[in-house]
Amino acid sequence: MEELILELKKKIIQALNLEEMSPDDIDTDDALFGEGLGLDSIDALELIVLMEKDYGIKLANPAEGKAIFKSVRTIAEYVSQNRKK
Amino acid sequence: MVYRIADNVLTPLGATTEENYEALKSGRSALSSYASYSGRKEDDYIASRFSDEQKKKLMVKGLTWFESLIYHSVKTALSGCDIDLASSRTLFVVSTTKTNIDQLSSPDYDKIQPAASAKRIAELLGICTQPIVVCNACISGVAAIITAQRMLNAGSYDTAIVVGCDVISHFVVSGFQSLKAMSPEPCRPFDIERLGLNLGEAAATLILGCQTKTDTGWQIVNGALRNDAYHISSPSPKGEGCASAIQYVTKGVDLQTLSAVNVHGTATMYNDQMESKAIAASGLSEIPMNTLKGYFGHTLGASGILETIITMHSVAHGELLGTKGFSEIGVSGRVNISAQPMPISKQSFVKVISGFGGCNAAVYCALNAPSPSQQYTANTYSVEHHVRITSPSDLTEIYKQQIGNYPKFYKMDKLCQLGFIASELLLKQENPRKEQCADRAVVLFNHSSSVWVDREYERTIEVGEDYFPSPSLFVYTLPNIVCGEIALRNGYHSETSFYILNTKDEELMHNVLASTFNDQSLQSIIAGWLDYKDEGNFEADFKLITKK
Repeated sequence: MEELILELKKKIIQALNLEEMSPDDIDTDDALFGEGLGLDSIDALELIVLMEKDYGIKLANPAEGKAIFKSVRTIAEYVSQNRKK
Repeated sequence: MVYRIADNVLTPLGATTEENYEALKSGRSALSSYASYSGRKEDDYIASRFSDEQKKKLMVKGLTWFESLIYHSVKTALSGCDIDLASSRTLFVVSTTKTNIDQLSSPDYDKIQPAASAKRIAELLGICTQPIVVCNACISGVAAIITAQRMLNAGSYDTAIVVGCDVISHFVVSGFQSLKAMSPEPCRPFDIERLGLNLGEAAATLILGCQTKTDTGWQIVNGALRNDAYHISSPSPKGEGCASAIQYVTKGVDLQTLSAVNVHGTATMYNDQMESKAIAASGLSEIPMNTLKGYFGHTLGASGILETIITMHSVAHGELLGTKGFSEIGVSGRVNISAQPMPISKQSFVKVISGFGGCNAAVYCALNAPSPSQQYTANTYSVEHHVRITSPSDLTEIYKQQIGNYPKFYKMDKLCQLGFIASELLLKQENPRKEQCADRAVVLFNHSSSVWVDREYERTIEVGEDYFPSPSLFVYTLPNIVCGEIALRNGYHSETSFYILNTKDEELMHNVLASTFNDQSLQSIIAGWLDYKDEGNFEADFKLITKK
């Protein structure tokens, strides 16, 4: 799981152009949206693309992704259970 | 005073305004199901498109599909009008979001970019002046009407031909799909079960003129553009920008005299909810309201013009068309909406529209209205500060060395990065730096539209194994997003406008800027040229100008 968490952090930084950040700057349990990392609705849509592209997981809309995209840990848990690649 | 001289609406439902109006009255919709461009079943979509047969009839030799639609619409509108097209006092304004984007991979794409395309059509029509392309995302159509109204009022022209058009393409369909904004069924504006928008292709032309002889006919009384300064792709939940635009154009108008409000009503969750809030906040809850998206879909650059024209005819007929697709109210602001036509008796209306980049616009039109007492006054301005950045420059280095502390910079496309840096360096010269205000506009011009990021986005929609349209790249393929970024950074809740011109025509830009100050709320404008073709060819030439 720790390996997947690190991999996800790297992918998120790259996909969302969080240029000046390193995986160490992202707390695994912090909120990704709103207060925490401050991601927005377009970032949520890019995360949907990332999930499909890299893990074969299809999400219909951001509403469906809301619980999954809470933190890096929740994403990692969902990916490990549902990944198709 | 600015009056309507003639109009045309060209859609799959008809080639004239009358044909379209009859089709709407009989409840016809042009929305239908289409197979995806990607070959994937899940990407099939609903849209309003011309049939192959119609297309064959409308295609003009030597013109693209986009240009052919504009050509036909303008020609039809002109028939029966006595307009001196070759006059230096005839203006041509084109409203579009993506122009010939369906031809992006063509080796000759440079020749059919927005301004070049507009120039070609103008020449074919016999218009001699430099065209102005208004590229303000979904509000382009209303913005183009307002630009024309101001330019006519300023006295630079006698007649303005305002045409809006966009065509359906893989580029645009995949983009809206990546934003999860498309409804898998015919759209249901303001309905509790609405699932998103449908796209449509159309062209619409409004010919406007300054008339002094007579005061009969439709008058474009007042228009306004306002930015939410909230987010580049989501509207402010309370619809402040939209409400502010409505309130500016209805100031001094007895709201009881309004026949109708024609709203954007795209049937996305956020747009309709936001509009309902803005309508209620502006005291228009009782006024009969409708949206035409259930008939034509969202026709992008044509939308604001098409819907203004249809509403003019609707009000003149004393009947507001029903909102097709609507059944049960699904917004929290109180609005007077119906699936059935509503009888209306008065003779004026407000057209409302909102778009990406946080922009909103409203225009107030009245039939046989007395001339307003407030006359147009010529505006002059002075240049306070100036900054110029050209290639070759390392934008990231400039950001790091001289600006910093705005991580969103790295998410922007090159056009936005260049515009953001230029605006920051410009505002560094202002002391104290003005923030959170409603009297400063952002008005930019260029030649290359958003071509750099258009090509970046295009790479993500190459059909194959790696087909993943990028929502963040798609949003930036609207060049006006940079105005939204600057408004957002500084909290400017005022006009944001983006124009595309053939050349860096200082005189034309000056005329547009001077007439922008016709918006009485404005005190200053961040104005300038902002072009990014590629890393070896870019220029930002910004000024901070203040009204004298």
